[in-house]
Amino acid sequence: MLRFIPGRLRPLVAAAALLASSLAAAETHVFVTNEMGDDVSVIDIASAKVVATIPVGKRPRGIGIAPDGSEIYVAVSGENAIAVIDPKSLKVLRKFDSGPDPETFAVHPNGNLYISNEEHAKASVYNPKTGELVTEIKVGLEPEGVAISPDGSRGIVTSESTNMLHLFTIPEHKIISNILVGARPRAAAFSADGKLAYATSEISGEVKKVDVASGKIVGKMPLADDKAKPKDILPSRDGSRLFVAGGRANRVFVLDEKTLEILHEIPVGNRVWGLALSADGKRLYTTDGASDQVSIIDTDANEVVKTVPVGKMPWGIVLQ
Amino acid sequence: MSREVPIVMPRSPLARSRAMLAALLLAAAPPLAAQAPPLDVPLAFVGEATGAAHQGAEQGLAEAQLQGEFLGQRYRLDAAPEEAIAIVAALPAAELQALAAAHPNVPVLNVAADDDALRDHCRANLFHVLPSARMAADALAQWHKAHPEAHGVVARAWHPAFEKYAASQLNKRYTEQFKQPMDDRAWAGWAAVKLVSDTVAREQAASAEVLLDALRNRLAFDGQKGIDMSFRSDGQLRQPLLLVAGEQIVGEAPVRGVVDIEDLDSLGPARCSAP
Repeated sequence: MLRFIPGRLRPLVAAAALLASSLAAAETHVFVTNEMGDDVSVIDIASAKVVATIPVGKRPRGIGIAPDGSEIYVAVSGENAIAVIDPKSLKVLRKFDSGPDPETFAVHPNGNLYISNEEHAKASVYNPKTGELVTEIKVGLEPEGVAISPDGSRGIVTSESTNMLHLFTIPEHKIISNILVGARPRAAAFSADGKLAYATSEISGEVKKVDVASGKIVGKMPLADDKAKPKDILPSRDGSRLFVAGGRANRVFVLDEKTLEILHEIPVGNRVWGLALSADGKRLYTTDGASDQVSIIDTDANEVVKTVPVGKMPWGIVLQ
Repeated sequence: MSREVPIVMPRSPLARSRAMLAALLLAAAPPLAAQAPPLDVPLAFVGEATGAAHQGAEQGLAEAQLQGEFLGQRYRLDAAPEEAIAIVAALPAAELQALAAAHPNVPVLNVAADDDALRDHCRANLFHVLPSARMAADALAQWHKAHPEAHGVVARAWHPAFEKYAASQLNKRYTEQFKQPMDDRAWAGWAAVKLVSDTVAREQAASAEVLLDALRNRLAFDGQKGIDMSFRSDGQLRQPLLLVAGEQIVGEAPVRGVVDIEDLDSLGPARCSAP
């Protein structure tokens, strides 16, 4: 493209292009599903205010974004459907059938959605462009958390009532490890290199670290607070720390990735469930379910810098 | 069918494709099942085979089987008490005592009797999954402290309208299977098999001795009531109770504002009271 630009302007255009791409990488909005409000709140990051509320249907929970950022997906649990939102017009573009009771899902780098169907012991893979079911994976009872490795070659589904992490290969969708963990595993996440995975168990109140290649548990840590019912878990961008939403503990726990020791406890609103991290890793956004708010955490200072009131019972959260 | 031995591949195209299909099916079998035969886990059920407790135990068995498919166990609920590693019992108090005495090295799980006297015996192999009458009375007393005006409230182990903590998923699974609402005994039957199968999976052993030790000392059971449960020294399962008025769930015990809601020992005697 630069070929057609007069020579003296090239550096300027290149700089503009660079600026544009860095702007594209930085988030501008936060999308939050409100489980009891049947809608999605859209927060403008610059003003830290809700700028739109999008009705999506009954009991929206899981939320994700297309790899190219062009579409937002919402699991509308009460309607057995995925709603597709246009992040520009903030309109629901379409809905497609997702199998029974979709709770949450992960977006594969190829764009497919890996959905846990809580009331059926399976996970289903959908192509959101066509709404077609790609395949189903048989897992344990009450599948919940879903994670896909950054390179797209591995996936994890947690089954809450069977107390397991099911680790499978992609694209074969063959289960290679069934890893027994503490009671009611909720969420899982991979490390940036895909070699490790982290998971929370809600009832046993603990965090486990798994070596993906061997399928073995290589670390575990109880959260030491018997009120902690951990849900979402995320590694920091540099991989040195883990962020854990503490549920009823009303705190976010910051763990050392190596030792799993708790480094910081950050008080947030009540029943903190969902987590999303900015691309630069400096801001962590939480859904505080019972406080109907989103907390914005400065990850260097380990403190809340802002809370934003959203809809009723915020659950899932994604940045755009 | 007559054929020469040895034959590597059947000659007829149909038989050959069947053999290939069999080979393909074998190759597609779950890796754990292919590595070793599943561990046989014999459980016994003693008591009315048509009641809610038995249905609950069957629901628990189906769920145990699903977990066993992944981890390599195969459960049975029709074993004789002599060969079982655990006995689920829906019996009146006297018969339950006799059963536990006859099989002193096997965990016996009471899913139907709420008699306080049974707990007071503190028999080492007798576990009470159903709450005791005293626990129900304590739950009601807590409720009345917080709500002096409340009348007609009863304390239950479970309720078909219970939704929190994935209770609705369990209620739905049970109702789909048995076309009946899940009541206290059905929940207890389910919980008895589930806590045994969870323990077998964790211990990777189908042994009454290992099970007895693990149930006594290492249980952290998720009974879909939002908190991990364990057995007290008198064999009673610590658990929250539901307060029900008419067909409505009005609260949960331990009752918020009266005691710490996580203090399960506020319901019933905290430990074995035998001399």
